Amino acid sequence: MNDGPLIVQSDKTLLLEIDHPKAADCRRAIAPFAELERAPEHVHTYRVTPLGLWNARAAGHDAEQVVDALVKYSRYPVPHALLVDVADTMGRYGRLQLLKHPTHGLVLATTDRPVLEEVLRSKKIAPLVGARVDPDTVVVHPSERGQIKQVLLKLGWPAEDFAGYVDGEAHPIDLDEDGWQLRPYQAQAVEGFWHGGSGVVVLPCGAGKTLVGAAAMAHAKSTTLILVTNTVSARQWKHELVKRTSLTEDEVGEYSGTKKEIRPVTIATYQVMTTKRKGVYAHLELFDARNWGLVVYDEVHLLPAPVFKFTADLQARRRLGLTATLVREDGREGDVFSLIGPKRFDAPWKEIEAQGYIAPADCCEVRVTLTDSERLAYATAEPEERYRYCATTATKRRVVEALVKKHEKDQTLIIGQYIDQLDELGEALDAPVIKGETSNAQREKLFDAFRNKEISVLVVSKVANFSIDLPEATVAIQVSGTFGSRQEEAQRLGRVLRPKADGHAAHFYSVVARDTVDQDFAAHRQRFLAEQGYAYRIIDADDVL
Amino acid sequence: MTTQQGPQRRARSATGPRTLAEELRARPDDALAALLRSRPDLLNPVPGDLTQLSARLSSRASALRALERLDRFTLQVAEALATAPDGTSTATVRTLLTGPAKVKPHPGATPLTPADRSAVATALPRAIATLRDRALLWGPDNGLRLVLAVREALAPTAANPGRTGLGPTLADATIGMSPARLQQLLASAGQAATPDPVTAVAALTALLTDRARCAALLDTAPEPALRLLDRLVWGPPTGTVPDAARPVTAEDAQSPVEWLLARGLLLPTSPGSVVLPRELALHLRGGRSHRTVEPVQPEPAPAAAPRDPQAVDGAAAGQAHTAVKTVEELLDGWGLTPPLTLRAGGLGVRDLKRAAQALETTEQQTAFWLELAYTAGLLAPDGEVDERWAPTPGYDSWLQLDTAERWSVLATAWLAATRVPALAGTPDGKGKPRAALGPELDRTLAPSVRRAALALLAELPPGTPATAEELLPALRWQRPLRGGPTGPDGRDLRDELTAWTLDEAELLGITGRGALAAPARALLTAEADPAEVLAPLLPQPLDHVILQPDLTAVAPGPLLTPLAHALALCADIESKGGATVYRFTPASVRRALDAGRTAADLRTFLEQHSRTPVPQPLTYLIDDIARRHGILRVGAASSYLRCDDPSLLNEVLADRRSADLRLRLLAPTVLASQAAPDVLLATLRTMGYAPAAESAEGDMLITRPDSHRTPPRTAPVPVPDGPPTPDDTLLAAAIKAIRAGDRAATASRREPTADPRHLPRTAAAETLAALQTAVLLGERMWIGYLNAEGIASQRIIDPVKVEGGFVTAFDHHADELRTFALHRITGVAELDE
Repeated sequence: MNDGPLIVQSDKTLLLEIDHPKAADCRRAIAPFAELERAPEHVHTYRVTPLGLWNARAAGHDAEQVVDALVKYSRYPVPHALLVDVADTMGRYGRLQLLKHPTHGLVLATTDRPVLEEVLRSKKIAPLVGARVDPDTVVVHPSERGQIKQVLLKLGWPAEDFAGYVDGEAHPIDLDEDGWQLRPYQAQAVEGFWHGGSGVVVLPCGAGKTLVGAAAMAHAKSTTLILVTNTVSARQWKHELVKRTSLTEDEVGEYSGTKKEIRPVTIATYQVMTTKRKGVYAHLELFDARNWGLVVYDEVHLLPAPVFKFTADLQARRRLGLTATLVREDGREGDVFSLIGPKRFDAPWKEIEAQGYIAPADCCEVRVTLTDSERLAYATAEPEERYRYCATTATKRRVVEALVKKHEKDQTLIIGQYIDQLDELGEALDAPVIKGETSNAQREKLFDAFRNKEISVLVVSKVANFSIDLPEATVAIQVSGTFGSRQEEAQRLGRVLRPKADGHAAHFYSVVARDTVDQDFAAHRQRFLAEQGYAYRIIDADDVL
Repeated sequence: MTTQQGPQRRARSATGPRTLAEELRARPDDALAALLRSRPDLLNPVPGDLTQLSARLSSRASALRALERLDRFTLQVAEALATAPDGTSTATVRTLLTGPAKVKPHPGATPLTPADRSAVATALPRAIATLRDRALLWGPDNGLRLVLAVREALAPTAANPGRTGLGPTLADATIGMSPARLQQLLASAGQAATPDPVTAVAALTALLTDRARCAALLDTAPEPALRLLDRLVWGPPTGTVPDAARPVTAEDAQSPVEWLLARGLLLPTSPGSVVLPRELALHLRGGRSHRTVEPVQPEPAPAAAPRDPQAVDGAAAGQAHTAVKTVEELLDGWGLTPPLTLRAGGLGVRDLKRAAQALETTEQQTAFWLELAYTAGLLAPDGEVDERWAPTPGYDSWLQLDTAERWSVLATAWLAATRVPALAGTPDGKGKPRAALGPELDRTLAPSVRRAALALLAELPPGTPATAEELLPALRWQRPLRGGPTGPDGRDLRDELTAWTLDEAELLGITGRGALAAPARALLTAEADPAEVLAPLLPQPLDHVILQPDLTAVAPGPLLTPLAHALALCADIESKGGATVYRFTPASVRRALDAGRTAADLRTFLEQHSRTPVPQPLTYLIDDIARRHGILRVGAASSYLRCDDPSLLNEVLADRRSADLRLRLLAPTVLASQAAPDVLLATLRTMGYAPAAESAEGDMLITRPDSHRTPPRTAPVPVPDGPPTPDDTLLAAAIKAIRAGDRAATASRREPTADPRHLPRTAAAETLAALQTAVLLGERMWIGYLNAEGIASQRIIDPVKVEGGFVTAFDHHADELRTFALHRITGVAELDE
């Protein structure tokens, strides 16, 4: 029995005791193949999954290294079956390879003939392949490069893609490092991505993912298509790119509902890409509009299903996915793996926080008690109305007012789900409200005012969940959410994690109605935050009022 | 075999013992003890004297059983002996195995290096000694004799060439051939005519056994005939030829077959088939009885690199710990909800599935754990009308042991078990799946294969893992005849058992990462207590956990049992393995409160056992749940005290000794206590009161543990693979009895028994022994016989064969070969000659 910091569980989770002197070494050793699942204060939980192991293989690690890491750091003997399973799973990656054949073009080749025989017998593979070149090689239709990777992953034999990339149309792009520098982890992320060809970089909100994108473009020095979640985010990308790189306003185009510019660097929204007109995707030609050398997917965990389909056809271009989490509520992590690429870099939030690049956050759940009449009304409400009812209870308003008052010197965001409630709060606090119907011009104006501290309180609906940049928000108060979405919680917390000029801790409040479904949903979100390692407290409304 | 009879042999036997019984008589007691130990079936029942013993060990069943327990080389030696006539010398046997040094071996034979030859020379005396010790062989080194039953089982015949692939001797193959034909053969082979058939056979045999003359004869053979012989040389020695019995001569021989048939180089057996006589086959083989001789056991050569023995021991200890915990978890569960036994015995598929789910493992593994518990006597059917599987009282005693001792109990039981869990779920003869814990899972071969496989592992350098495929050649060499039935995929039972043994050994922590671990080595050699070897390798139980803000508690190792139980009460187990992850949920906290804990109890408990500060959300959760728990005030009091006399209650309440019970007066006649009822009862009793427990209905309650147990049960005895090996006391007693009986028998031997007016009368065993001796010595016997109608008669017979309860003999009255039922023979007597 050695005194390692790691405990290997029979369900393939790894427990890492982080107060242990060897914890940091161990983390580095297991990070390539194990997905960090929970990072609460003392013991972090990693999970070993086939995808994780294949990610490690893609990054050049072999089974021997994985087994070594487990055996070296494990406190107790590692179950033999698990080690065998690890070796087995990792051995599956790369038995099939997509190659560029000098005469036959794209081919699927194998180092293990029975595997090829097995997959060729699958009904799903048959339509994607052509003639057999030799016993170990079969032609793949170039248009099916993405599709076949998806199907092979589902069959448990992920293919390694060595077919290479087209360079695309060259375009000079350089980073303009004037007064700022790429942070070390950002540089590592770009390095990891470029080395792997295509893939996903996982960084927490506020850790500067846009810069990773920009640096990747500067590496590629070619025309780039950037896909983002919405228009506001698109403008921000453009703003950043112009500011941080040699690109000028004219070289960056926006392709959205309102503008249809196609420039050497074009930023398109998911929404416009997935708009259908008369049953067909109307803006598909954008992908073919230029000979793109790089495609960047922002918030890859939100990639809508149709975009996967387009992406499947884009396998010859370099692809960079940026995200804060690989967890997808729809469970399509495998598609991200096969179509965008394996994970190329990740760093846990707490580590970046410790380096001072994102602000520490203090999470606090405030429990309000419903009045007797509210409880009666809640108890008799229709099931589908119940959440709305308890989430928008009038009692919350008094708590929000008290919290705003407590932090009157700070820039405060109030985030909610229900427009009525937000309007009501806006009125009570005399603060502007940004919601779906607010025009983009108006939004930008209000954001500017908030940035300039002309206004200190802003009430936003879920439109502000993603990709808006509010550098000086230090307090976020969440009054209602999309039920128990962990995703949304991460994004909302991300709003206050940008490093503060004065190094202040950020505050993140959730106001929750006690003994209702609101509390149950909050428990979900609380678990998520605690697992991310944030200090989490629960206080009663009376302590605030 | 009736070759080599007559005066010649008698003359030789004058120097050595005349019969096996005589030889046994000359053996010292410890040699007899060794014989009986290696062949325990001879002791059931204890034979009356040495004649009986020799008769019994000459029986076909006993001899076959003994042959099954020989290793490949000893068996090859026996086979080689069986191809040669009785009275062979050790040197001849060696020549048979290796071929004469100067003769070029047949190209089909595995070539022998000088090292191989010396290995044979080294191994041969040992093999001969083994055969002799087991009384399969007797006689001096220059006159070796196989016990008749062994010779019959091993001697090659046309129908059964055995592993040598040889045919019958020329003499045997020509039995029934007309004297004229024999002379024809002689003439065709270019030999001079002889006066009678016996000399003709001898002349032909001499021709084939003389290397030079035989070679000269073969030189004249046409090429196709030689090729034909070549096809038969390594067996099977028979070929199909139309009208093989046609008497062809050298002159009218047309085809190659006829060329050979004419000269007696092939001999007709049954109509339409020919056989290669043994002498010729041996000549063609270059004198070798076996194509490949294997004097030494093939050493397993594992492909995998040796692992660090410490890592092996560690991995095995981890698995040993898991094994003990798994059995405990399984039986604890079954103690509360015992599953029904099937009517045909065993466990239903659904119950097995359920158990597998509870253990979070496969059904196959669950079957293993169940069988393990059953084998160790921890689990048994309870014998009720609706029979259920439940832990035995033995389980409770087992629980009292520490982990290492518990493992030792399991491993010891496993080692000797004939139960084969891997058979559960496989189809039986009728295609129905066999039930786990069912009656069809016993295989007598299992313990010997298990021990042999582990013994091989133990011989490897420490830390060396080996696969079943690597071990099997050695196992097959050790017991070539003990493979068990062969399945449809061509794997025999031993192949399967070896693979299963290694799988099970890994699960049980006998091996770690495929190599034998130290505790198991102690178990196999019995040189040290395996529990003591294992104990320091096991992780030490902890008394603390780590509490986390995400409402989990991580126990970074095995917990002390009381702590584990307490924690399992107030939190759900989320993940198991080296560590245990517990999660606090509202439901789990409520469960703890329901079980009589209070919020304060829980908080104190957590503070005491947490290495880290109790996180605020956790205390909030506990308080929040307790707050709501309190509102209803239903079951928070764990027990109550009810009495019609309020003053008595007041008295209890005022007593300082009751302070720990935290009594509260709910009503003038009711006291509530936070203490559990059993604590309350116990405390009140120590205070001098006579309280009684009552049920919810207010009835008096007699408390007893609710966990289900069977009546006392013993562990299932492994199904014996034959009679048990006798211990020294039994052996000494048996030998004493045999010697005594023998003295009595030999003393009375000389008494005249032949009274022509009366039927001879002898005891059945004596009859059998006398007849067998007569067969061996070719003696004539006088017997009394009752025919099927019960009419008695006396006959003079020349016994030929004693087998299966019948004597085949030449009856001088009827002047023909007849078969006599042994049980109808009233007695035998020797004839005065």
